[in-house]
Amino acid sequence: MGPRWLPFADVATPDLPLSRLLRLSLFQISVGMTMVLLVGTLNRVMIVELGVATSLVALMIALPIVFAPFRAIIGFSSDHHRSELGWRRVPFIWKGTMWQFCGYAFMPFAILVLAGKGESHRIPEWIGVVSAAVAFLAVGAGMHTVQTAGLALATDLTPKEAHPKVVGLMYVTLLIGMMGSALLFGIALEDYIHARLVGVIQGTALATLTLNVIAMWKQETRRPARHQPKREREPSFRESWAAFLEGDHARRRLVIVGLGTLAFGLSEVILEPFGGQVMGMEVSSTTKLTALLAFGGLCGFGYASRILRRGSDVQRVTQLGAVLGIPGFVMVLASPVTGLMPLFLVGNFLVGFGGAIFGHATLTDTMNRAPDDQVGLALGAWGAVQATAAGTAMALSGILRDLFDEVLGSGTAAGYNAVYVLELVLLVATIVITAPLVRSAAPRPGVYGGGAPEGGRA
Amino acid sequence: MADFDDPDRVWPTGLTLKESIELHKYLIDGARLFFLSSVVAHALVAAFTPWLG
Repeated sequence: MGPRWLPFADVATPDLPLSRLLRLSLFQISVGMTMVLLVGTLNRVMIVELGVATSLVALMIALPIVFAPFRAIIGFSSDHHRSELGWRRVPFIWKGTMWQFCGYAFMPFAILVLAGKGESHRIPEWIGVVSAAVAFLAVGAGMHTVQTAGLALATDLTPKEAHPKVVGLMYVTLLIGMMGSALLFGIALEDYIHARLVGVIQGTALATLTLNVIAMWKQETRRPARHQPKREREPSFRESWAAFLEGDHARRRLVIVGLGTLAFGLSEVILEPFGGQVMGMEVSSTTKLTALLAFGGLCGFGYASRILRRGSDVQRVTQLGAVLGIPGFVMVLASPVTGLMPLFLVGNFLVGFGGAIFGHATLTDTMNRAPDDQVGLALGAWGAVQATAAGTAMALSGILRDLFDEVLGSGTAAGYNAVYVLELVLLVATIVITAPLVRSAAPRPGVYGGGAPEGGRA
Repeated sequence: MADFDDPDRVWPTGLTLKESIELHKYLIDGARLFFLSSVVAHALVAAFTPWLG
């Protein structure tokens, strides 16, 4: 037995081969699986098959989002983690994986007890509620930890000019993980039985553990504590956070991420019901709308990787993403009036395309700007804002639609239209806030190495 | 980067004592967490289908 069998990368490679990068991106598949399982699959199963009260289900789904703002703290702690083994990110990916695995291990039983199935109606109700809440919280916390530390590790390992490629890869893997697992969970739970639910959740647990271990194996360059210069005193989170916010337009950048993510996120949840109720599509075919949105996303990630690697200014690309969303939303709004199905489809494609470009550019910008000793904090802050905004959008869109419906009270489309108009307003606000950053960015042709090989593009 | 000529390195893993202790800690923490969650899982399954009568 020797170092070959241990999970260390003792040799620091200046240039990360694509195969290793692909392997690292596997953690995004597990994150995607968790997102789909928590927000999509279990949401439906608990309400439809198990008859749990909708408000209780909404509470459980919201719990992982509550943990999202703590990403900044997770990132900060990983920056300052002192380890004999010289690891900063791997311990966090490992711990996050453990939390996810353990949460999944008892989640199906907690859900069954929550629903009062079997003999569990004989025990007090709060036992089911508390255990399910703990399970959802553990899985959510684990997922946020894994993604924050994973993205920080990817940033550590790659040079600046490779970041667009890395971000594209990470996003595409996340998308593949989400689409693939949505399909798989759908097939596995088609004829619902309790044992199947247990199998699906525990299978996800095993897959998460396996994928994450493969992803982090021999990836992080070791920096043993005894080789690091001893600092007088480690800065506190508050001090680091204050220093981070003093960076060039740091606050503004976070606001942009939040507003843009909110705008694009709001449309995702109401897309399928909009297609069904307003456009009169069959329920079975509305799933294809989500697939179309994802296809637009894939094209967007590819396109953003390409132009950013060719040296486009990141701020301009961020703005471009938001700008592209506007005709997309307008087309969607106009389609019921004109009754043109192609207009609706093109609009949705544009929304997916623009949203992907926006997300890609903001993450690339975060990676590029992160100082070496604040990589975790910077990515944690981005992730905290992004995940909170996305989660809020998911929770709000349905509520907002119903609210607008009641206030406006005319026709089925009124609520949807109001939400789409709100998205437009948010996008315009995003564009306006981006403007000073775009203006201050001097044209820098070819900074990102236009001659770089194209093979690695996601 | 780790230095290979460290006299503290022990066979067969090539880790120093401190490094092995740290690695061991992850193992023990993981085992504790596994134990805890399996207890919770068993209790919940017992509530779902009691096997102790």
